[in-house]
Amino acid sequence: MSATLVNTGFTAEAFAAFMAARDEPDWLVDMRSSAFDTFSGLDLPTRSEEEWMRTDIRLLKLDRYALTANSPSDSAAPEALLAAGVELAGRSVSVNSQPVEGGLAEKWAKQGVLFGSLDALVESHANRIRPYFERQLIRTDQDKFSALNAAFWSGGTLLLVPRGVQVDQPLHSLSVMTDGGIDLGKTLVILEEGAEATFMAETASSAVGDGGLHCGSIELIAEKGARLRYVNLQNWGSQVWHFAQQMGHVGEKANLQWTIGALGSRLAKVNQHVALTGQDAEAQVNGVIFSQGKQHLCYNTHQHHMAPFCQSDLLYKGALQDHSRSVWRGMIKVDNVAQRTNAYQRNDNLMLTASARADSIPGLEIEADDVRCTHGSTSGRVDDAQLFYAMTRGYTRQEAVRMIVNGFFQQVFDRITIESVREALGEAIGQRVRDL
Amino acid sequence: MAVFVVVANTSDIPDSGSLLVEVEDRLIVLIRAAGHFYALDDVCTHDGGPLSNGPVDAEEGSIACPRHGAKFDIKTGVAVTMPATQATISHEVKIEGDQVFVRLVDG
Repeated sequence: MSATLVNTGFTAEAFAAFMAARDEPDWLVDMRSSAFDTFSGLDLPTRSEEEWMRTDIRLLKLDRYALTANSPSDSAAPEALLAAGVELAGRSVSVNSQPVEGGLAEKWAKQGVLFGSLDALVESHANRIRPYFERQLIRTDQDKFSALNAAFWSGGTLLLVPRGVQVDQPLHSLSVMTDGGIDLGKTLVILEEGAEATFMAETASSAVGDGGLHCGSIELIAEKGARLRYVNLQNWGSQVWHFAQQMGHVGEKANLQWTIGALGSRLAKVNQHVALTGQDAEAQVNGVIFSQGKQHLCYNTHQHHMAPFCQSDLLYKGALQDHSRSVWRGMIKVDNVAQRTNAYQRNDNLMLTASARADSIPGLEIEADDVRCTHGSTSGRVDDAQLFYAMTRGYTRQEAVRMIVNGFFQQVFDRITIESVREALGEAIGQRVRDL
Repeated sequence: MAVFVVVANTSDIPDSGSLLVEVEDRLIVLIRAAGHFYALDDVCTHDGGPLSNGPVDAEEGSIACPRHGAKFDIKTGVAVTMPATQATISHEVKIEGDQVFVRLVDG
């Protein structure tokens, strides 16, 4: 694998040059070519589509971006937030979709664990990985961005934990983008039957105010009896366009705990989909969102119950300040075979300024007749009485606001079982909160 | 402070019509009504949708959101009918020769 390129935009010439620079198996070449055809045939989404009605991408100039031939600079990588003080089983760092460093502890490599750049591993372990690629959990034709990622994905991360192997140290990846850069990473996590792992992935720009384009995908596969804890912290620069398709596939008696932190980007449009495909599967989804400035963060979540006796529990909490806006659209879908489903979704929003806006749209689509499916949504401002009380106890106004914001998020922090993640999210949010 | 920038020719906009323009990474709807020009953020404050495809009523001095019919005063951006209740941002416009200039108002 080598990364060289190339032309402006995502033209046929750019795609040909992209493919010529790679040495991938035929089946993958075919998949990419098919995806490029799909990409070429699709227009950018418009606001006439329900899913995009609240998200305006008319200022996005897709043809201004291109994969770069420049070698990434080591100095471009900011400090990782999630891995501070954590002894890792493996780590992986990429800059602008190009892997720059990483490794897996020998102890785990000996047990057959694969971890590192998906680019490299798909070439060296093609037959091992191919069946998972061919599942195509994420529809290529979902929209132009999913087709773009399917055709042009590069770099990315693979974690494959073989049957029965329990990795008791976290793995970590950091995807970095330089100003005006592009990241088309694809993350593929596979836990075979009875496997266990914790994977913390974070994205960041070289500097807070950087721009660029991220168009990514995440596929999480927990096979029968597997247990996966996956954390994804999105901390792109404030001018980055962030588009992502994310899919979790939870098999029989498997367990997925999926935590997302959304802090950065100019505009984020993320589809997070969890499919419970085997009986007694469980999924817990946690979302922590903090927006400021003129950020627009849109998260569409989907809990799809496809088998009986499954549980899913989603909690998204967001705090918004300045003129920022968040959109959460949640759906619990229960197939007619998925009797005895227990599903919950909740979204809470704390408005720190009057000019911020949160749209919260929960939904249920239930075809089975013996289920428990509930949802809730709240939006409100910081309570002046709480502020006053804290200030009478000697806190400054800003300290009081921070304390109230932290208290607001505590409910979701309590569900996050990885201490370094709780601390990183709490710290990052605390730094962003200003006086009301 | 923002400066005036050329965004269109006067002939680009029909009377009682509008034109969507991009000014400093922001979408602005330019409106021509009864021989005067106005500039508003291309945002309906009801649900964040675009105003730029909405009908202009020169006599009433308003532009209506095509989604739900909220109307905004083209001079001030004030919401004049439900379901919008908050103003959209109005920007400064000047005409020199046949060129339309806009200066953004922060917000």
